[in-house]
Amino acid sequence: MRNIFLIILFVFFIPAQLAMASAEREINIYKNIRCLVCQGQSLNDSNSDFAVDLKKVIKKKIINKETDKEIYKYLTERYGDWILFDPPLKKKTLLLWALPLITLIGGLFILGKRLVFHLKQ
Amino acid sequence: MKKPSKISLLVSVTVIFFVIFYYSLKANNKNNPNIMLNKPLPAIELTSLVNTNLKQELPLINRDKYYLINIWSSWCVPCREEHSILMKLKDKIKIYGINYKDKKTNATAFLNKLGNPFYFTGSDKDGSISIEIGAYGIPETYVVNSQGLIIFKHVGPLNKKIYLRISEIIK
Repeated sequence: MRNIFLIILFVFFIPAQLAMASAEREINIYKNIRCLVCQGQSLNDSNSDFAVDLKKVIKKKIINKETDKEIYKYLTERYGDWILFDPPLKKKTLLLWALPLITLIGGLFILGKRLVFHLKQ
Repeated sequence: MKKPSKISLLVSVTVIFFVIFYYSLKANNKNNPNIMLNKPLPAIELTSLVNTNLKQELPLINRDKYYLINIWSSWCVPCREEHSILMKLKDKIKIYGINYKDKKTNATAFLNKLGNPFYFTGSDKDGSISIEIGAYGIPETYVVNSQGLIIFKHVGPLNKKIYLRISEIIK
């Protein structure tokens, strides 16, 4: 009885779980890709020729066990960073990301200096 | 020397912040269809529309000084509009056609009726070849040089202005 249960588990349940995880990964990738010929839609929301073709290409890459990073690299090489809703960190935008942190550190430094000055008095 | 006032310091910091935000955000907030320009054409293999045993690999290195790639389909209205320009260009440059998601009978009927400007026509049944070279849709035209670099790209139907530009490039 126990063996039959284990066989059922291996034959049906585990492949189903793996397929679900793969489908979820696929949808997450589609959601992060902009349909460049549509108005503000992701690949997941669009059925345009461009979106359908791109989905097929991505699906093939997932089957070929390419990582998300490799898939995004393939797309940005051909369509630029704009194709991603969540663009990668680049030199051009690095300062933009670092600016709030620099401001916070600067602010804390000024605050600390003033605090020390007031405490000395 | 006079110490800078708090207001001038605040204004300077605000201006610096504005400039950084403006340029950093501007750099990433629009679509650039020419991203493949001056980059090597990705390797593709075209299967002939008329004879599936015939294959054509692109890019061709050190063969022709320039060649043209055009993505088209018989069901695409703008492709019909630009066809006369392709017919004019075929005497100046080799044209490789990529027939996008089309039926063989419709595509051949289209070429029989309007003329065949293509040196070789490959079939792209699922649109994957077009994605491989960074296309957005049809029609789309690329000029590739002998080193395999995409030196010109046009999204949309060819017109007289683009015809003159291509003629100038390949002169």
